[in-house]
Amino acid sequence: MVDSLIHPHEAKPEIWVYLEHEGGNLQTVSLEILGKGRQLADEMGWPLCGLLLGEHVVHLAAQVFEHGADRAWVVEHPLLGSFTIDAYAAATFQTVMKGKPSVLLFGATPDGRDLAARLAVRLRTGLNADCTDLRIKRESGVLVSEVSGFGGGVLALIEMPDHRPQMATVRPGVFPVPGSMPGSQGETISVRVDLSPQMIKTRIIERHTSSTIDLTRVPVLVAGGRGVGPDFTDLEQLAHLLGGDVGATRPPVDAGYIERERQVGQTGVGCSPELAICCGISGAFHFVVGIEKAETVIAINSDPEAPIFDYADYCVVGDIHKVLPDLVQALQAARELTHD
Amino acid sequence: MTEPRIVVCVKVVPKPEEVRVDPQTRLLERANARAEINPPDMNALEMALTLKDRLSGTVEILSMGPPYFEPVLRVGLGMGADHIHLLSDRAFGGADTLATTYTLAHGIERLRSVDIVLCGEESSDGATGQVPQGLAEWLNWPQLTLVTELEIDMERHVARGQRSIKGGYEILEVPLPCVVSVKTASNEPRFMDFRLKAQAASPGRMKVWDAAALKTDVNHTGLAGSPTRVSGLASAASRERKRERLTGTSEEIIKALIEVIRNSVM
Amino acid sequence: MSDDAVLLNDELWERLLELTGGDVALCYQCGECTAACPWGMVREKGLPVRLVLRQAQLGIENTGAELWLCTTCGLCQATCPRGVDIPAVFRALRQLAWEQNRVEKGLPSMLWSLYWNSNPWSQPPSTRSAWAGNLNLETFDPARHEVLLYVGCTSSYNRRAQKIARALVTLLQKAGVSFGYLGDDEPCCGESALSIGNQPYFEEIAAHTSQVFIEKGITRLMTISPHCYDVFKNHYQEVPPGWQPLHYTQYLAELVDQDRLVFPHPLDFQVTYQDPCYLGRLNEEYEAPRRILKALPGIELVEMTDNRQAGLCCGGGGGRMWLETPASERFAELRVAQALNTGADHLVTACPFCLSCLEDSASALSRALPVLDIAELAVQAIGERS
Ligand SMILES: Cc1cc2nc3c(=O)[nH]c(=O)nc-3n(C[C@H](O)[C@H](O)[C@H](O)COP(=O)(O)OP(=O)(O)OC[C@H]3O[C@@H](n4cnc5c(N)ncnc54)[C@H](O)[C@@H]3O)c2cc1C
Ligand SMILES: Cc1cc2nc3c(=O)[nH]c(=O)nc-3n(C[C@H](O)[C@H](O)[C@H](O)COP(=O)(O)OP(=O)(O)OC[C@H]3O[C@@H](n4cnc5c(N)ncnc54)[C@H](O)[C@@H]3O)c2cc1C
Ligand code: SF4
Ligand code: SF4
Repeated sequence: MVDSLIHPHEAKPEIWVYLEHEGGNLQTVSLEILGKGRQLADEMGWPLCGLLLGEHVVHLAAQVFEHGADRAWVVEHPLLGSFTIDAYAAATFQTVMKGKPSVLLFGATPDGRDLAARLAVRLRTGLNADCTDLRIKRESGVLVSEVSGFGGGVLALIEMPDHRPQMATVRPGVFPVPGSMPGSQGETISVRVDLSPQMIKTRIIERHTSSTIDLTRVPVLVAGGRGVGPDFTDLEQLAHLLGGDVGATRPPVDAGYIERERQVGQTGVGCSPELAICCGISGAFHFVVGIEKAETVIAINSDPEAPIFDYADYCVVGDIHKVLPDLVQALQAARELTHD
Repeated sequence: MTEPRIVVCVKVVPKPEEVRVDPQTRLLERANARAEINPPDMNALEMALTLKDRLSGTVEILSMGPPYFEPVLRVGLGMGADHIHLLSDRAFGGADTLATTYTLAHGIERLRSVDIVLCGEESSDGATGQVPQGLAEWLNWPQLTLVTELEIDMERHVARGQRSIKGGYEILEVPLPCVVSVKTASNEPRFMDFRLKAQAASPGRMKVWDAAALKTDVNHTGLAGSPTRVSGLASAASRERKRERLTGTSEEIIKALIEVIRNSVM
Repeated sequence: MSDDAVLLNDELWERLLELTGGDVALCYQCGECTAACPWGMVREKGLPVRLVLRQAQLGIENTGAELWLCTTCGLCQATCPRGVDIPAVFRALRQLAWEQNRVEKGLPSMLWSLYWNSNPWSQPPSTRSAWAGNLNLETFDPARHEVLLYVGCTSSYNRRAQKIARALVTLLQKAGVSFGYLGDDEPCCGESALSIGNQPYFEEIAAHTSQVFIEKGITRLMTISPHCYDVFKNHYQEVPPGWQPLHYTQYLAELVDQDRLVFPHPLDFQVTYQDPCYLGRLNEEYEAPRRILKALPGIELVEMTDNRQAGLCCGGGGGRMWLETPASERFAELRVAQALNTGADHLVTACPFCLSCLEDSASALSRALPVLDIAELAVQAIGERS
């Protein structure tokens, strides 16, 4: 057996959460994991720590405490100004070797996965990927992660009894964002790390936040068919509320109501969203091949016999021009409620 | 100018929908499932072959797995790859990503003078998506992940790739040698060329490396080298669509819809 | 000469001649083909068939998108005074394009689906027979069954086309035919690979599929799609002794002639009939479907202006089912307009591709013209719902 650099008996009974932030705010996925981390920490009687890396990030510690952490490990360095795997892996490694946590959690985002995967090898420990649930065994302190495989068809429970830290990446969206507790205090631990420009192999040439249409990866697809008519505004609103994007069948594209890049199906794009909402779509084979990989499908159609209902998990027989505005309104109301 | 030597990591996977967990034994039943090349690895192969079209050089397939991978891997030769290296030994069985990346890294080291390693984004079975980065770490090479486009400049010995990030992309440059993971569906894999396919069966096109040939440490490979243990398995809820009608007053229907939306994305 | 043309070397030129079976040499450049081709009706530039032939004669390869427009409908060939097998020329040119990895987007994925899934629709092979659900179909056994029902990929997976399969099963059961099918083990016929010009892959599929037929003792089979029928009849090299592939309309027409299939339930429709190219022009079967229609009580058949040899293609052949066609260039819209002109209240056909394309265009024209397969209509005349 290979030993991890940190031995189980020297690991501290602590849960650490690697925190991603952007524009002065912690990312949603990091808040979700803080929420879950708090619950696990309470069950075990362990402290919960946030790990913050960046150039000027110490002011984010307040947000970390408000979302349930007892401590914030803060690593500031000019070379951490933007994410490069080289600098971030080195800084995280050094900090983890100082703090020796028993459990170390990341969001399963592009950066979070890259960092965790590289770090796990450097620490010679295991990494449970894209977890959908977590618990810790009370007696042994062993983390049990639920992961899925085979296109979501198989669930597995994974643990690593003899290696520390017990690392996992957590799928965004599976745990709720905890309510914030303004004014909560905690301990800030500033860490000095040793980084030099020579360590950084990655050159960032440019960064684009693009507005190009790419339906292949949207988490929520709101697709409209001929039944929608010329006006896709309701669909756009709904998509916006749910953090998704709008797609269409071929007829609205043909009619010029919406861009060709938004055509879903055999001769359009194939999508694999968490949720597809099909509005005013009959369910022709050439269309449904484009939403087959969707996790959940909702269909709204005025014709109770529409074939799309055979391809949907939840079926609503109704007029799209009535159902959609009601739905948008209700979602907005619900959102305002949680924000108050 | 020298020509690039490209390695593509290819995994052979069972068709996901044909794999089941036996409810009694709680073991994976995959023996009767059809095998295919991990679909994202087809994108990696295509990206490698496009580079070869432009720059010449060679494309070699590297795979860790049992001997039955062989005929499936030969499909890659039909697409235009030059050679297959299959890392196969009983000692490699049961590997998690730490042991898998250790073994693959040894394969790359034994090949020597590789310029770039291309991987798929993730496999369709384990789907951890952490092999490419782990491999880069063992090799102590830089990495470019989730790239949709890739160029290599052999003169400057660098690779430049377009990496997908939230809401956009970034263009990164790293020195060669490096490890790249190719974003799924970022290209359309070419179909086999039947003139190439006709030569694909030749025994000389594949080399099998066992633990002795790779000089791997038994403590680092397979189950022994894996920190993680599977402590439970279950079939997920059926993939059949539920076809559930939401009925009631329009308020009730909206409420039910919001519930469904919450459960699936919020 | 178009910008897309490149000069071929002698070796390639010889290959082109070899692949087209010397057919290109017959052409004397009269241009009848270009005039006959339906692309001329929907595209300003039409499809310059004559020019493609000329370039082929000169050893200049046409590498543009035009190569992939041809639906292999055979309309041009029917008018060619020199009898050039023009669809075969297009297939040969496409084969060269495959060899140079210069093909339309989407087509490699279709072939990969054939390779990994044994169907061109990216559907799981393990659910091929799911359409038959609780129909209790029997697996083919030569000792007990007179004929094999070869369902084909489209009718196996496309929900709309599955209705044809189910209707046909009802008809066969009603007529007391003892038939079997192959369930999930049904192999693909390979027509989609052939029609997009991947001849070597088609031959590989055909060799495998005919081996399956030989092993299972199959000699007589009926297909639902005219495309499967065409390759079984005309493009399979090695076939079982006594090989007799039929289109299902031929089989049903036989049953009607023998009074094994009777239609007691009168209908009251005026229908017009779309000749599928692969049944009609390519295999000269115009009458079997019409014989069935005639046998349906209360059905009046009104012909469209272009019928039989002159029948207009739906636009779905030659791989076009996997390629996008701009809204203004779809043959099926012209065809639906023709059908509406007859005053018929139903448009019937006998091909799952025609059904998809015509139904799509009928709804695009926002006209209530139900499109049905003959099997679906016939099943209503035995008093069952399709
Ligand atoms: C070669 C080929 C390729 C194709 N490729 C594609 C492709 O990639 N993508 C694609 O989408 N299609 C494609 N098609 C077209 C496809 O066959 C269908 O025609 C198309 O998908 C139908 O779109 P639809 O469902 O929006 O329209 P319709 O079939 O007309 O359905 C509209 C639906 O809206 C419902 N409706 C109407 N009014 C309302 C209302 N007020 N409230 C609620 N419901 C209402 C109706 O009941 C009906 O079910 C292709 C076709 C061919 C032949
Ligand atoms: C349901 C399930 C869950 C699992 N969860 C975990 C987990 O949480 N943590 C863990 O450490 N292990 C896990 N495993 C084990 C893991 O699948 C194996 O370690 C596997 O050998 C490599 O990981 P992967 O398939 O996830 O590869 P990924 O990291 O998803 O694959 C990315 C790319 O790496 C390359 N690659 C991967 N494997 C090979 C190979 N054998 N040969 C050549 N190239 C390859 C390919 O290019 C591939 O596209 C799990 C397995 C299953 C079945
Ligand atoms: S076969 Fe049909 S589509 Fe092709 S060139 Fe001839 S007429 Fe045109
Ligand atoms: S109709 Fe026949 S002879 Fe005339 S140009 Fe066309 S292919 Fe040549």
